[in-house]
Amino acid sequence: MTIWRFDAIGTTWEIETTNELGADERQLVGAEIDRFDREWSRFRSDSGVTRVGRDGGSISSSDAGAMLDAYLDLSRTTAGAVNPLIADSLAALGYDASYSLVAGDPISAPAGWTDVLRWTAGEATASSPALLDVGALGKGRLVDLVADVLADLPGDLVIDAGGDMRVRGSAVRIGLEHPYDASTAIGVLELQDAALCASAINRRAWGDGLHHVLDARTGVPVRTWAATWAIAPEAMKADAVATALFFDGGPELAATWGVEWVRMSTDGRAERSPTCPAQLFTTRPRA
Amino acid sequence: MIRTTVPTSVRKGAALAGVAGLLVLAGCSGTADAEDQSTDTGTDTSTESTDSGAAAGDYADGTYTADGSYQTPETVESISVTLTIADGVVTEVEVTGDPKARETEQYQGQFIDGISDEVVGKPLDELNVSRVAGSSLTSGGFNEAVDSIKEQAAA
Repeated sequence: MTIWRFDAIGTTWEIETTNELGADERQLVGAEIDRFDREWSRFRSDSGVTRVGRDGGSISSSDAGAMLDAYLDLSRTTAGAVNPLIADSLAALGYDASYSLVAGDPISAPAGWTDVLRWTAGEATASSPALLDVGALGKGRLVDLVADVLADLPGDLVIDAGGDMRVRGSAVRIGLEHPYDASTAIGVLELQDAALCASAINRRAWGDGLHHVLDARTGVPVRTWAATWAIAPEAMKADAVATALFFDGGPELAATWGVEWVRMSTDGRAERSPTCPAQLFTTRPRA
Repeated sequence: MIRTTVPTSVRKGAALAGVAGLLVLAGCSGTADAEDQSTDTGTDTSTESTDSGAAAGDYADGTYTADGSYQTPETVESISVTLTIADGVVTEVEVTGDPKARETEQYQGQFIDGISDEVVGKPLDELNVSRVAGSSLTSGGFNEAVDSIKEQAAA
């Protein structure tokens, strides 16, 4: 196996293939990542999301319907805790496009986001300026898109976007990183022809209790769950469930979508879906 | 007799705080109903324990119910409080809720396994794994910004 490593969309990617990727394939992967970033990144001044946040209007994108349909499920099952208009709440705490990381007062995201935002399969339209953040599932979506670009590539394939990954061909043994001790794992699992997405509060954190997983209803970072993992055929759904698992309703969404999962609380307890294939290193305390 | 039915022990503190607020509300409405000489300047005459034997009739006897809600980090909980007042004294308090918080038994059933298992981490280098999944690695601007904050904090 050979590994192509690069930085994109704010994280480090590794694409592992049986045979080294050629220049053409790398160019196609790079172009797809750039297209997605130009449409959906709130960290670029020239993106569609930034323009709609400033002026309102539309983003033409083949990702609009798939992502916003999934957001609708996320929002409903978590009773509004997950919301694609969370960007201003993140910015209020300092996680803004210029990474000021200076926290002001929390603000909630607009509960009526479906009144502001309308979409079709290929276009999202905001009736007034509305800043989107598709962070709950966008990276998973992009992993799927890159997998599609490499769909005809012979041999094994691992796409790892900084911990959100999709595997094709041979199984890969993966450790579930302990959110408070990156030298240890809380469990292991074998991933084959599937995606695994993880989310945790230990990175993308910038101060006392300040990290990137917010409850949209309050604009305040979550405190109950420290780390989540979700396994699904597609990375976007795994990514979305990994986000939903920080809130009530996440396990129900996972059951509806057929996604397996693990999560660890901030006080060190683990839970998982009833048929989750992961092996966890846990002990059951005496009652 | 006071009978308080609180659905979960973990949420008791928050639930009781909510009850205290609702008692004030119930007291206020009771005062409005009772046509006494509104010389009471304090507004917090809400608990029976502070009742110093003042004339009965501060509050009209009866059963009062109020609904309230409070925010937890992950949910908005709603509770209903029913008070019974007899001879101006609260004789019964009942708190009922439909808790959404994850501690509740009803929530822990069919979708979740291993509710109380405690994590025991194992060193990665003993596990023979080829990849690690955790929070997304960060790069570029975010790391630089955090480094900048650390420098400012150290200065």
